[in-house]
Amino acid sequence: MIRTYIKLAWRNIFRNKRRSFIAGTAIGIGLASLIFVDALIIGMERNMIHSATSSFLGEGQIHGEGFRKTQEVEKTINRLDWIVSNLNQETIVKHFTLRVMSFAMISSASNMSAISLVGVVPSTERHLSQIDEALREGSYFEEGAGRNIIIGSKLAEILEVGLDDRIVITVAQAETGDLSQEMFRVSGIYHFNVQEMDRGMAFVRLEKAQQMLGIGDDVHEIAINFTDPRFGQDENLPFWKKYSQYGNNAEGFTDILPQLKGALEISTFSTYIVGLILFGVVALGIINTLFMSLHERMFEFGVLRAVGTRPFGIARLIIFEAGALAVLSIGIGIMLGFLITYITSKVGIDYTGIEFAGITFRELLYPVLKLKQFIFYPFWVFVFTEIAGIYPAVYAARIVPADAMRKSL
Amino acid sequence: MNEGKNGNIIVTEDLTKTYSDEGVPVLAVRGVDLAIRSGEFAAIVGPSGSGKTTFLNIISGLDKATEGKVWLRGQLLSEMNARELSDFRRDNIGFIFQAYNLIPVLTVEENIEYIMLLQGVPKKERHERVMKILKDVELEGFEGRRPPQLSGGQQQRVAIARAMVSQPALILADEPTANLDSKTGGALVDMMRELNEKTGMTFIFSTHDHTVMRKARRLISLRDGQVASDEVRD
Repeated sequence: MIRTYIKLAWRNIFRNKRRSFIAGTAIGIGLASLIFVDALIIGMERNMIHSATSSFLGEGQIHGEGFRKTQEVEKTINRLDWIVSNLNQETIVKHFTLRVMSFAMISSASNMSAISLVGVVPSTERHLSQIDEALREGSYFEEGAGRNIIIGSKLAEILEVGLDDRIVITVAQAETGDLSQEMFRVSGIYHFNVQEMDRGMAFVRLEKAQQMLGIGDDVHEIAINFTDPRFGQDENLPFWKKYSQYGNNAEGFTDILPQLKGALEISTFSTYIVGLILFGVVALGIINTLFMSLHERMFEFGVLRAVGTRPFGIARLIIFEAGALAVLSIGIGIMLGFLITYITSKVGIDYTGIEFAGITFRELLYPVLKLKQFIFYPFWVFVFTEIAGIYPAVYAARIVPADAMRKSL
Repeated sequence: MNEGKNGNIIVTEDLTKTYSDEGVPVLAVRGVDLAIRSGEFAAIVGPSGSGKTTFLNIISGLDKATEGKVWLRGQLLSEMNARELSDFRRDNIGFIFQAYNLIPVLTVEENIEYIMLLQGVPKKERHERVMKILKDVELEGFEGRRPPQLSGGQQQRVAIARAMVSQPALILADEPTANLDSKTGGALVDMMRELNEKTGMTFIFSTHDHTVMRKARRLISLRDGQVASDEVRD
């Protein structure tokens, strides 16, 4: 009997081809939108993570306890040798680099500004940040040039300096607080299109910064890139516990940039909201289609009831018709969803320069196709279609045969 | 076979049906007492609005009486719920409708075997019975066609085959010839009468066609919802 109902339902769907196709396309567009939005959100997340971590942050960081909060230069990383030697042996660590960081005053002949001075190891810093790639003028740190400094484009504008101009950096030394001044030569000017970096940071060699701050061979930060960026999001990774001892703190980028975590949560939540709205529209479309078909065939349902079909049998037929409509819609939705997402995943969507949750998109956004989008969403469209079919099914089951066939028998 | 008391397949007692037409009560059937014996070939006649269709709806359990009782094969219909009524109709009544009312997306064979599917008849037996009944109604070779591909007369013969294939005790037909020309209609009634004689099934049909009336063995005339005359003929 089930086979007959399925056959009947499938053929009924094609009785009014135009209406079924329009309804199927409407539901299919809903499904295609869900697939596309999901792919877009994944692409956006990847883009945001990449934008946030690749320019300077890294996917994980190690600091001395309290340094991130206070930025006190005395709070350097403890047992640095042990950490460096262990990091070299970690299979999940792709690259790491040492940094020294301090508040500083930078002054030129024309102006002065408060900045964050960063001492870096040029050879390893290349793998963690994109300072070298973002250089607009000049060059990355050359060998032996200890007094070279690289500054942001906005800072150069404020200080009214260009390449080879001299500037003075003033910092407060660790422990004593005595001021230490050094003269540097501008060897490079970068432009990240990120306000915070372009006007508030300057990079010098690690040894020079250590010397100015009087911290010997100590450092304030180790930035890490993993073999898989997702390690940086995994709060349960044993790595964090291992390196959060001896008075140090190891954290992933979602802890370092809580606004990024918030943005990712908003993205996921947005998908749910979009899904809910689309499913709501889809459900109304299905109910409308089924009711139109039901009212058109009221006579027929009366006949089916008259010849002995139980009320549940009628309800089952409507549920099967909803299922047949879902199958048709899913076919259309999958084709549309794949087509739109595939094209945009190749061409990309230009969000560059737009800032969201403190992160500026620096590259084209590419939606990401995943197999689950073509299993998970179609499954839910099917389930929702069946749920939406319950109301018309119950209505049809309650039909009084004589009322349905008032003008016949 | 339980045919009820005294061999009556249908017994009605003080059958009354009141409709509400836009708030105005309409008395469609009023106090009908009737007994129809098993194997009869009876016509319910009367002008439009005389209550023929309402009477047939109530005695088949498609509609409920406002007052009174109906026994069909000894079973009191008012004591059954919707599901029991469905099963009872499936096993005991075959319907023939004025507008044929075949399911257009099913083939002739699928339309005819539908009731047997509901009854759980095995596939092989279903097919054999469909082929036999198609021969009886002279539609051999039409089993694969769909209703829209058939003429009105052919569709009504399929409807007769559908009504009879499960071998119910009672066939109810509401104006079965109304949509057919007089020649086709007459031939159809002849066929129904022949099947009635051959199988012993009870046929009750409503009509206001005089040609059809003449072929009935019992003529029950309704007027304003009441039995105006009840004539048994040879």
